[in-house]
Amino acid sequence: MTAILAGRFACGLSAQERSGDDVTQYRQSEHSNLLVAIAQAPTLEALEALRVTWLGKHGQITAQLKQLGLLPPAERKSQGQTLNRLRDEATAAIASRKQDLAQVALDHRLASEQVDVTLPGRRAEIGSKHPISLTLERLTHILSGLGFTAAHGPEIEDDWHNFEALNFPPHHPARTMHDTFYVDQGHLLRTHTSGVQIRHLQNHQPPVRMYAAGKVYRSDADQTHSPMFHQIEGLLVDEHISFTDLKGLLLSVIEQFFATSLPIRFRPSYFPFTEPSAEVDIAWQQPDGQRRWLEVLGCGMVHPHVFHHVGIDPERYNGLAFGLGIERLAMLRYGIVDLRAFYDNDARFLRQFV
Amino acid sequence: MKFTENWLRQHVSIAEDHQGLLARLTAIGLEVEDVQHWPACGPQVIVAQIIRQTAHPTASRLRLCQVAIGQGKTLQVVTGADNARPGLRVPCAQVGARLASGLVQSRAIKEVPSAGVLCSRADLGLEPHSSGLMELADDAPVGQPLDDYLGLPDAGITISLTPNRADCLSIRGLASDVAAACQGQLRPVAVPTVPIRHSDQLAVQLQVPDTAIRYCGRLVVGVCAQRRSPDWIQERLRRCGIAPVSLIVDITQYVMLEVGQPMHAYDARLLQGPLGVRQARPGERLHLLNDRQVTLADQVLVVTDADRPIALAGIMGDWTTRVTAATQDVFLEAAYFAPTAIAGRARRYGLQTDASYRFERGVDPQLPQQAMAYATQLLLEIAGGKAGPVLELTQIKQPIALPPAIRLRADRLTSLLGIAIAPERVQRILVDLGMRVQPQDFGWVVTPPSRRFDVHGEEDLIEEVARIWGYDQIPLSTVRVSGRGAACEQPRLGDDVLIRQHLVSRQFQECIHYSFLDKARLSQWGFDLAPVHLVNPLSAELAVMRPSLLPGLLASVQQNLARQAEQIRFFECGRVFCLSAEDAQRPRETEQLAAIVCGNAVALQWGEPTRSVDFFDLKGDLESIAAFCGQAFSCRASATPPPWAHPRCTAQIQCEGRTCGWIGQLHPSLLAAYDIRLPTFALTLQTELVMRQPMKAAQTPSRFPVVRRDISILVSQTCRWEAIARTIWQVAGPLLAELKLFDRYCGPGVQSGQVSFAIGFILKDNTRTLIDQDVEQAVTTVIAALAQEHGAVIRSSTPQ
Repeated sequence: MTAILAGRFACGLSAQERSGDDVTQYRQSEHSNLLVAIAQAPTLEALEALRVTWLGKHGQITAQLKQLGLLPPAERKSQGQTLNRLRDEATAAIASRKQDLAQVALDHRLASEQVDVTLPGRRAEIGSKHPISLTLERLTHILSGLGFTAAHGPEIEDDWHNFEALNFPPHHPARTMHDTFYVDQGHLLRTHTSGVQIRHLQNHQPPVRMYAAGKVYRSDADQTHSPMFHQIEGLLVDEHISFTDLKGLLLSVIEQFFATSLPIRFRPSYFPFTEPSAEVDIAWQQPDGQRRWLEVLGCGMVHPHVFHHVGIDPERYNGLAFGLGIERLAMLRYGIVDLRAFYDNDARFLRQFV
Repeated sequence: MKFTENWLRQHVSIAEDHQGLLARLTAIGLEVEDVQHWPACGPQVIVAQIIRQTAHPTASRLRLCQVAIGQGKTLQVVTGADNARPGLRVPCAQVGARLASGLVQSRAIKEVPSAGVLCSRADLGLEPHSSGLMELADDAPVGQPLDDYLGLPDAGITISLTPNRADCLSIRGLASDVAAACQGQLRPVAVPTVPIRHSDQLAVQLQVPDTAIRYCGRLVVGVCAQRRSPDWIQERLRRCGIAPVSLIVDITQYVMLEVGQPMHAYDARLLQGPLGVRQARPGERLHLLNDRQVTLADQVLVVTDADRPIALAGIMGDWTTRVTAATQDVFLEAAYFAPTAIAGRARRYGLQTDASYRFERGVDPQLPQQAMAYATQLLLEIAGGKAGPVLELTQIKQPIALPPAIRLRADRLTSLLGIAIAPERVQRILVDLGMRVQPQDFGWVVTPPSRRFDVHGEEDLIEEVARIWGYDQIPLSTVRVSGRGAACEQPRLGDDVLIRQHLVSRQFQECIHYSFLDKARLSQWGFDLAPVHLVNPLSAELAVMRPSLLPGLLASVQQNLARQAEQIRFFECGRVFCLSAEDAQRPRETEQLAAIVCGNAVALQWGEPTRSVDFFDLKGDLESIAAFCGQAFSCRASATPPPWAHPRCTAQIQCEGRTCGWIGQLHPSLLAAYDIRLPTFALTLQTELVMRQPMKAAQTPSRFPVVRRDISILVSQTCRWEAIARTIWQVAGPLLAELKLFDRYCGPGVQSGQVSFAIGFILKDNTRTLIDQDVEQAVTTVIAALAQEHGAVIRSSTPQ
């Protein structure tokens, strides 16, 4: 129907058929038909054909506009206004139809592009961090927030840094608690990270706030002991540091680590390099629902002998030091029951720790 | 240290109940590890004696016993115990008693009435398992409630003692600490006076002048060694975890537990004399009390008889001179040996004895005489005999002195603890701990008792005060720090949280392996570094410190393939060890990062084809690490690739002109040794050489469009891409912004021995829009240079 109309306009009202008098004869009815034809144009191509026929360079409205000049001035004006209005209307109608048709075409295309959004995506896998690393990172983050900075020391340590300077003289019974791997006469695998305290204090003047983290070794292997394990050690040396500060600081570290407030207790203990010394227990909920005291760290006030070894005046400065076993904390935090899982490197186990 | 609560309470009177005592023990640093309970039996369980025994009329395994239960009364009881016999005194549970097995009722056993139960130790809850009736001493008072006779109920308390608290390895030592902690009353114990009934002595010679020794010996003649130890001694030993052996041995053990002095008894008739204490001579043999033969080395003290070793001093006596039931004359030894002379020696011979445990930690040097008097008294009371004089030798190279007087400043106490404790309380605590305290203007002068040789200085006294005062009574405070902390340094790459995160984002899993390796395994790798060996490894599999992270990672690849893993991407950061090339004595350790990949390149997925991982997958990871560090790594094929690597698919990684690692395929022979059939690729980086570069000033991107021009060239297959790229960068001029190799081809259409590279040039100028002429000139120059330097033939050149 629209095609027929379009055809009629196209051949019935060609410019040649028009006399000079007909110029103004583009009638309202023809205009209505044209608007209908535009509105019903089925395709972009048909619409374009209508535009060329009527509004193109040689289109009929264009032709009539060109002939306005032949009219007397009085008519010219009114005829011109009419024709321009009609032309504008047709132009707008075409633009509108064009937009409609484009929308239809787009809708059609989109409809054909149905995707099964439930299919899995590509390259979704990510790796995993070792739970020991995650635990260490968490602690270093907490300690950094408390103003502590990282320090380092060797894993193959000498006897002086690992023992003597820390107030473990030769044959000291506390040495028997450190089942030591020896490398040669003077060297051993460090049994704790505390030797880093000594190395740091040899090179830094108080105030000092440092932590040292890493692997330590003891020649002991069973269900609950690994010959290699990890520790993090903190040291704070300043004037006016007291045991109350030690308690306050460690309560903060423990609460931040477990992200909750836990009952904790300080229990007298013994480390040759601190005095007074303490171990800290947390009341930890066991699988059976009971809370039991569980040791999580050792700490104390730096022993004056340690300060003497590194040339710090113990009358002026006090220090506090603490050390945490990473495996124990990781086991608590992640509910790991078997120590050996840490060194098994089973991808299925590791995958859980992102 | 395990002790019984009743024994402790006999020495100290405190207000605390059982739970209160446990809490106080832990609070003062004597951490309670375990508590064992021996319940009361109740008044119906009494000491009884079997008077008559007859066979059961129908059951051959059962016996009918008539037992006396005191006050002239008897009961008929049926028992199946093999050791039931007339005259034996046993615990008898009468009707109404509650045993581990249930309520005792009057009932017929195989038609014979039984009015009670004769009890084993297990019946009474004294042990989890036991066989036969509990045999009581012949003088056990018939009719006495067993609870009174055996001291029930009781609790066995195991405490974990720190190595400084040797003084608490005895009931007396514990009682003193508990008295202070609970403000209780320590019961005084007088040293008994032993009547000297003969004057014989054995001569003793100390032959180690450089070692502090105090040696007390006494000859007791005419003892009845075959007598049974009294029940109260046996029971206390058992509850403290020591099995009774024989009367004389049990007495020495009992004294050790009560006062803390290890003792030894020799059969004096088997000694020739004189006795001596000297260093062992290498090769000497000793048949130990535990019936083991040991060959002695030097650096261990022995007690000798006529120069023949008869004991590892302070550790264990020998078999030949041990006391037996036949012993008539006993030589008792109570000695002090300097801890340094004993420490570690027992372990050297695979021993750990109660004596060595105490001597290693230190025994009060004032104790031998007291212990000798106490042990003699017990021996005379129970086994009879006549005591001779005590021979005492003290050899004091390092004086066995009393602990020194120590100045304790009140203000130091306050500043270290952060709280003020009333001076009267401080003084009371120290006095309760057995210290002599003299108040001064500054505080106190304190002299510890000889058993507290762990107390040397002011800080020790402060700890003693804090410990008894109670750590939980000390408040918390927030640290106030002066000055500034150290500036935050750039973290080392190995410690860098971000590099781990980066690798995790690239689908790597982090591993942690032991730092020790199997020596045999290691030899398969052919590292050219001298490895660091442990002197005392746990096993041959854990004997060498790793010179590389790769052996650990490859072992994990193997294990995970065995667990059906299809795609493995592992990394590890850690130290590696070798002997320094310059100084072979000095172990050297460096930080390494290593990664290993194997199996599928991408996880099995519907939208992407699966393929095996290859060298360039891992090289992409390496380049991403380089980009992350703000560095450019270059990979060079090496004429001498490491033995573990595929010779043609391995490169040295260089960073700022230094070799910092390797990347490559693992050698098929090595993989075969690990039973891995899939191609496996690995990289190592010495992270200390790859510092993360801080970003330089940021650049503003050009406003002008870039121009891309592609060329395709043919070169010989021996021509390396890096050489081509270098030539291009050298001649292309400043307009070249980027070079993209987007195809590499050899095959049909390309002459054999040749390879085609398709290269995209990205050209730009920050100040203007480029014109064709600029591009043409750059590309022409490049083509000419490639032709000249690499014999490159242009296949096509297309503007994009």
